[in-house]
Amino acid sequence: MKLGVFLSDLRRTENTIERLKAEKFGIFLVSNGIYHATLKFNGEISPVLKIQGANYYALLEDLQTRGLSENNLVDKKIKVITYDGLVDLIMNDYEQLAWL
Amino acid sequence: MADTKLLFLVQRPPYKSENPRLAITHAISYQTVDLFLEEGETVTPVLAFVGDGVLNCLKDQKSIQTYDTTSTETHVKNSLLLDIKVIVCKEDLERLGISHDRLADAADMGAESSINVAPFVEIMKEMETSKHLLCF
Repeated sequence: MKLGVFLSDLRRTENTIERLKAEKFGIFLVSNGIYHATLKFNGEISPVLKIQGANYYALLEDLQTRGLSENNLVDKKIKVITYDGLVDLIMNDYEQLAWL
Repeated sequence: MADTKLLFLVQRPPYKSENPRLAITHAISYQTVDLFLEEGETVTPVLAFVGDGVLNCLKDQKSIQTYDTTSTETHVKNSLLLDIKVIVCKEDLERLGISHDRLADAADMGAESSINVAPFVEIMKEMETSKHLLCF
């Protein structure tokens, strides 16, 4: 299964996302989910970013809306994408999509 | 002369819900209650941002450009312009790794007030001296 998961909250979804398994696993950080890509919590990166083998994407428009940019990313493995890039990914790279 | 102090405590991050913005607009709207007050009565709002709520106060929010909607930052700046006391919890900023220079400032709009970064004990004192505590 090629699974893309939209994460749009800062809290409460970590436990669920850690349990998901997929052959190809994409995590789309959108809305308040982008804080996982840009904040450290007591000096540590978010547990959301610690899933082995997952591809991480953060939506540029949602970063900018919140006063953040690519310069604030806490991990190099996160790729910043626009809405156009997001559409390409969900149409071409992921068979199933979930919204946490 | 009686003053009614209202503390608006914002705990949630911006945009996903309307709660933080409601807190700010309610605080700003204190000016309109003059119509309903008796002679000598006043209302003093205070805005305090704690927990993930401190994220409302980041500067350079570009929501107008991205989603054509006013930013929470603009609301915070309008509060400062009206000389509303705005407090941001120092410990929560540190916990999230946000430096003070990343906070909104309304000097460009002519505001004389700026965001007050203070430890939580200071916010507790504001709670103790407020008649109403409103959590958002």
